[in-house]
Amino acid sequence: MAGAQAPDGYSARRPPLIRVQRDKGGPVIDNQMPRATAPPSDVLRRLLEDAVDDDYSAASRNDRQLGRPALQRPTAAAIVVVVAFGLLVGIAAGQARSGAPQEARERSALFDRIETRQDTIAALTSRSEELRLQILGMQGSATEGNQRAEDLLAGLTTARTLTGAATVVGPGVEITADDAPRGQSGPEGKVLDVDLQVLVNGLWQAGAEAVAINGNRLSPLSAIRTAGRAITVNYRSLSPPYIIEAIGDPQTLQARFIETPGGQAWLDLATNFGLRFESDSADSLTLAPAPAPRLLIRYAQRQGELP
Amino acid sequence: MIPVIGLLVGIAAGLFLDPSVPVALQPYLPIAVVAALDAVFGALRAYLDGIFDDKVFVISFVSNVVIAALIVYLGDQLGVGGQLSTGVIVVLGIRIFSNVAAIRRHVFHA
Repeated sequence: MAGAQAPDGYSARRPPLIRVQRDKGGPVIDNQMPRATAPPSDVLRRLLEDAVDDDYSAASRNDRQLGRPALQRPTAAAIVVVVAFGLLVGIAAGQARSGAPQEARERSALFDRIETRQDTIAALTSRSEELRLQILGMQGSATEGNQRAEDLLAGLTTARTLTGAATVVGPGVEITADDAPRGQSGPEGKVLDVDLQVLVNGLWQAGAEAVAINGNRLSPLSAIRTAGRAITVNYRSLSPPYIIEAIGDPQTLQARFIETPGGQAWLDLATNFGLRFESDSADSLTLAPAPAPRLLIRYAQRQGELP
Repeated sequence: MIPVIGLLVGIAAGLFLDPSVPVALQPYLPIAVVAALDAVFGALRAYLDGIFDDKVFVISFVSNVVIAALIVYLGDQLGVGGQLSTGVIVVLGIRIFSNVAAIRRHVFHA
């Protein structure tokens, strides 16, 4: 066992269970350990040692037993296989060569299509803006001198402002609400959907005319709710800090809000649970319209004359 | 000498005739090449060891290619084609490396 000195120097680290004989026929592994119980490192080592198919050494042993000389010249069958191997390599190389430009062509075609579509989108967007301005101009000129039409247009403007369909600008307050600093409190230190609901309710109560949370304008159809782990407004997930912008009387809105149950609830949350709550008056807030699906009415129908 | 010429003829034929491979077989071509490489290096090592046997070579070549392709095909059917081809390539790669190392020892005595 100890005499199995392989020239490669690896044998020193071999476990004694595998005996390696080196004879003229190359490595012949005399396997005394059942394969199934071999530890993983032995499996790897065996893989390395078994690299030459055992068949070659088995065949050469057979030959020697039968007294046949070891074959040194490759025969026709071996040459056929070698040619087949070359063919395989050649075809694979050809495939790889012809496949690469194909992929590049497809990719650049896709890029072209993306760019074309992006151009189309840009063109359509500017066209839509152009038409919107045209409509506004035509509304203005069509209603000139017509009291009824002017009233209707004014009513429409009010309705669009109220429902969150139009961009509005004005003074108001900006409230920042955030979870308590990390590690300072447990799960009760998080802003919940109900917290934002009472906050917004307090703002309406204090006289706010338009409200947006993190840029999501509240329409009559907007809900503030928890979906998964985030608070969702207008089907858009929000992440803290929550910035609530409200347009209203800059003199009274902030003070009146603190007086409302919503404001009181938030003061309570800030003192007892460490939630961040900052309120600042703002000279000019711009609230973008709510997304179109939040303004769509399908069932409610108007009854009677327009006011 | 003759096998080397055969190899070159095969490569040239594959490259220039560019035979079309059926689309269904195309994913198995690279793995077949790796399996064939293993058989060829094993044969070369056996040749240098003086125990080359053409019957063993032919059979090991064909069975290597067929079995490698079959394993990958089976993997594709089971939805683990990528993992199985990685496994096949790792095993064959280790064998190729140790065979080439043995050939290197024969040729350079180092």
